[in-house]
Amino acid sequence: MPKLIIDTIAVEVPEGTNVLEAARSVGIVIPHFCWHPALGKAGACRVCAVKILEGTPKGVQMSCMLPAQDGMVVSTGDEEAVALRRSVIEWLMINHPHDCPVCDEGGECQLQDFTIAGGHSIRRYDGRKRTYINQYLGPYIEHEMNRCIQCYRCARFYQEYAGGTDFGTMGRAAMIYFGRQQDGQLESPFSGNLVDICPTGVFTDKTARFRARYWDYDMAPSVCPHCSLGCNTIPAARYRELLKVMARRNDAINGWFICDRGRFSNAAVNTPERPRQPLVDGQEVDWNKALDTLAERLQKFLEIHGPESLAIVGSPRMSMEGNIMAARLRDFLKAGTLSYFEDTELNRRTLEATGRLTRDTSASLADVRGADLVAIIGCDPSEQSPMMALAIRQAWRKGARVFRVESGRSEAGDTGISPLYESSHADSVASLPLAEAARPVLICGTNEAGLEALQITPPAKFAFLLNGPNAFGCAELAAEQGAASLAEALAAGTIKGVVAFETDLADDLPDNIQVLATADWRATALVERAEIVLPTTAWVEMDGTFINNEGRAQRFKQVMHPGLPIKGLTPELHPPHGFRKTAPGSEPTPAWQWIELLMSRMGAQSLDAPLSGHWERLKQLDPEQGGLSVLHERN
Amino acid sequence: MEQVLFRHNHPDRMVSLEEYRLEGGFEAWAKAVRAMSPDEVQQAVIDSGLRGRGGAGFPTGKKWSFVPRDLPGPRYLICNCDEMEPGTYKDRVLLEKNPYLLVEGMALAAYALQVNHAFIFIRRGYEQAAHNLRQAIDEARRAGLLGSNILAGGFSLELDLHQSAGRYICGEETALMNALEGLRANPRAKPPFPAIKGLWGQPTVVNNVETLANIPAIIERGPAWWKGLAAIPEAAGTKLFCISGHVQKTECIELPLGITLGEIIDGPCGGMRPGSSFKACIPGGASTPYFTSDHWQVAMDFDAVAKAGSRLGTGGIVVFDQNTCMVGATLNLIRFFARESCGWCTPCREGLPFVQHILERIEDGLGRPEDIDILREHVQRLNYAFCALAPGAMGPVEGLLRLFGDELDEHIAKGKCPFKGSRSH
Repeated sequence: MPKLIIDTIAVEVPEGTNVLEAARSVGIVIPHFCWHPALGKAGACRVCAVKILEGTPKGVQMSCMLPAQDGMVVSTGDEEAVALRRSVIEWLMINHPHDCPVCDEGGECQLQDFTIAGGHSIRRYDGRKRTYINQYLGPYIEHEMNRCIQCYRCARFYQEYAGGTDFGTMGRAAMIYFGRQQDGQLESPFSGNLVDICPTGVFTDKTARFRARYWDYDMAPSVCPHCSLGCNTIPAARYRELLKVMARRNDAINGWFICDRGRFSNAAVNTPERPRQPLVDGQEVDWNKALDTLAERLQKFLEIHGPESLAIVGSPRMSMEGNIMAARLRDFLKAGTLSYFEDTELNRRTLEATGRLTRDTSASLADVRGADLVAIIGCDPSEQSPMMALAIRQAWRKGARVFRVESGRSEAGDTGISPLYESSHADSVASLPLAEAARPVLICGTNEAGLEALQITPPAKFAFLLNGPNAFGCAELAAEQGAASLAEALAAGTIKGVVAFETDLADDLPDNIQVLATADWRATALVERAEIVLPTTAWVEMDGTFINNEGRAQRFKQVMHPGLPIKGLTPELHPPHGFRKTAPGSEPTPAWQWIELLMSRMGAQSLDAPLSGHWERLKQLDPEQGGLSVLHERN
Repeated sequence: MEQVLFRHNHPDRMVSLEEYRLEGGFEAWAKAVRAMSPDEVQQAVIDSGLRGRGGAGFPTGKKWSFVPRDLPGPRYLICNCDEMEPGTYKDRVLLEKNPYLLVEGMALAAYALQVNHAFIFIRRGYEQAAHNLRQAIDEARRAGLLGSNILAGGFSLELDLHQSAGRYICGEETALMNALEGLRANPRAKPPFPAIKGLWGQPTVVNNVETLANIPAIIERGPAWWKGLAAIPEAAGTKLFCISGHVQKTECIELPLGITLGEIIDGPCGGMRPGSSFKACIPGGASTPYFTSDHWQVAMDFDAVAKAGSRLGTGGIVVFDQNTCMVGATLNLIRFFARESCGWCTPCREGLPFVQHILERIEDGLGRPEDIDILREHVQRLNYAFCALAPGAMGPVEGLLRLFGDELDEHIAKGKCPFKGSRSH
């Protein structure tokens, strides 16, 4: 652990930490463009200059290139170092277009920040600026090369980190160009990270173009709902419209990045088709009326068919809170069935997989990145959870051996246009050279092959790709509450009616089943069919908890208030002239609250908060503290 | 004067393998591979005092000694023939006349370093030299001088020729290795140094053509003899000087190291052209600060030239007469360097075009007094570029500011180039 002094502050950092990071650790921000924690040093921009007063080498040095050494004395404010940093900004500003007022990056631009911080304000270069022809990079990413400061982050991320082959560095000298051979959509499933990683406005989110400034956004720490990995995100909204999603750093899970599915698949939140108004038999009603009718019809149903013919259906895409309340509703109504998974096999396998994982054997994405042997068993990470594939690539880049056990659907991911890693085939888990590995991770699908792999003796770690952002939570609840698969209950023939919460039940739910109610924010087939529809909030419109595939509970915070996007209002309503207490379309309520309201309407007394009893420990979850494992330390 | 590198040359054609061998060619190689240990070859090179001819002048034997002998996996030797320094054309002449010398020199170096696979990285434009080399390598292989178990001495060596896609930066050894690996020719961060982690991550030595071509003579005649070829005791061996500019005879000549600048110009160059008088010269290729008539007596050797404020560099001497505008000359050089920047780091990519812009402004009569400060600033700050290209590029600018300040001031004060219209060449 080298001890050094930076600007009179004593710093102790782990071996191998560079001076730039050492300074950051005590709150000294040294300007930087090319250096990025996930990409490492490049030494290209030369803006992180400091002066080494004691230690080797002495003099002005790039802090990103220099490992912190014992006894080093560093000055970040040294006149010569500051002069060089000033020159670098001046050089970069020679060709930068200064189009901040029309640039989407304005306000969240590292170049803007460091330029202003350095005090650069007078232009000494009076020649022509170089200009470029921009490319069409697809519907998601806008390209504006004139703003480029050639930090090489984009190419380093795209090619080295993410294994993309259709984008890179071209040209030379003052004509460096970052782009594709020709116009066309970026092929990498991680291309959206160019937006986050570019220190200026070369790559901006086209889906949110010209919509808002950084300080206008409603933002909060959130968790991606699009697969079971639980990557951390920052959704940004304005005027009741979800505009874009950015990656949020979590070293244990997604690191600094997210996949394009997580970033660009969020239109459902804003869509006009979304249920926003409670419906009774297709008629819009207020929420009081909807709840009264539901309570009444439930009562009647229970009287006619008996509680055992009612199924309460939760879902792996609903928060823990909603799913816990679904169980309480079952208890309260004494319903015959509580279900979290529709498919019987999936139900059994998910429970078995999650039930057997322990804190020692469950692999985080960080574990995958640090593995020296990765085996992919009966799943296709590229297809199911792209960030898992990206994590495997990082292990592979560091020399890990990657194996595909059995064929399945994994072939596509391994031989696609941009292979993320090279892998070899293994016939069985037994044939894997696990004994030669120090940190093996087995990545399994929720299937028989995955469960068989679980039989092998640790020290291997396991990462299961589950179906849904809260599949792990649902499995825990199902085990705890004795929930069955809906298919099983349907097959038994006892069910006559369902009340479903944020589920995607198959279209072929038998006709004789009465769908008493569904609560959802998505326009599913069930919403079409249900007698009563209760609109719920999307994950960005509420606080909630998901438990990811490794058993890590994570809190996501409310980003925005539910309501019709102002953009989506009819012309008569825009600008809004009427005076009203609530925003139009703001009826959606978190699913767990609908349940609570329903239960109290039906006479339930003194309701506990969802996260109580067994789940009390999740109450203090801090969305910015990396989450909390619900796994036991057992073997 | 004793010649080592041009000894076998014919004025009109390339020497043949038979002729080269009749005159003692490949005897050093046979001697080494049969009777000397690798360490003895390396020691001879260390003792000879041979310094790198590619521009930096680093002691060759010392460079070799940095290569660890106990690391697993292959080691590599690369001959840097990406000769692109304006004013420098010695490697081309050498290879067009006698490529066998390089083949033999590389074989000896590879033997000393116990390298079994060596590469020649040659500039794209050097088609004739590449052709000759290809022929020489083929012939040497057929004669059993390359390949496996060479001359039954148990040593094997494959020699591959790689024609560069072409760029000045490929002459930077780590950029060269990237280019050879099929990557963009950007320099690599050091450490790790190539001697430890070079080509494909393996220990690698990169030597210039002329450096390697000297080794056969060192082995054949002994280091002491070779060292004594220099004109002064501090120097070692001979050097190829490439003369261009306003002198009578512009050619590449082999001369003893340590000969004075004046002796070169008045001697083999036949003096200045009629009507021309010596004003200044670039002493060692485009990235070296100027010499003036004050430096007439400077011994052309690494240390002596450095002491006089410039660098011997590649030995490419470009002579300017009294009618040459030094601002214009410097601008010409800076245009080259700005264009040849690889674009990796900010100071080089953006700083050099800025300097070019300032010099253009001054040359066009639009200069302002504060432009001098901008130039000074850049001379200092371009030292913090990623590799040596930008600092080297500022060599002539530094020389311009130090030696021709009056000329700069005159441009600015008069609002025009005082040489415009008076140029006689």
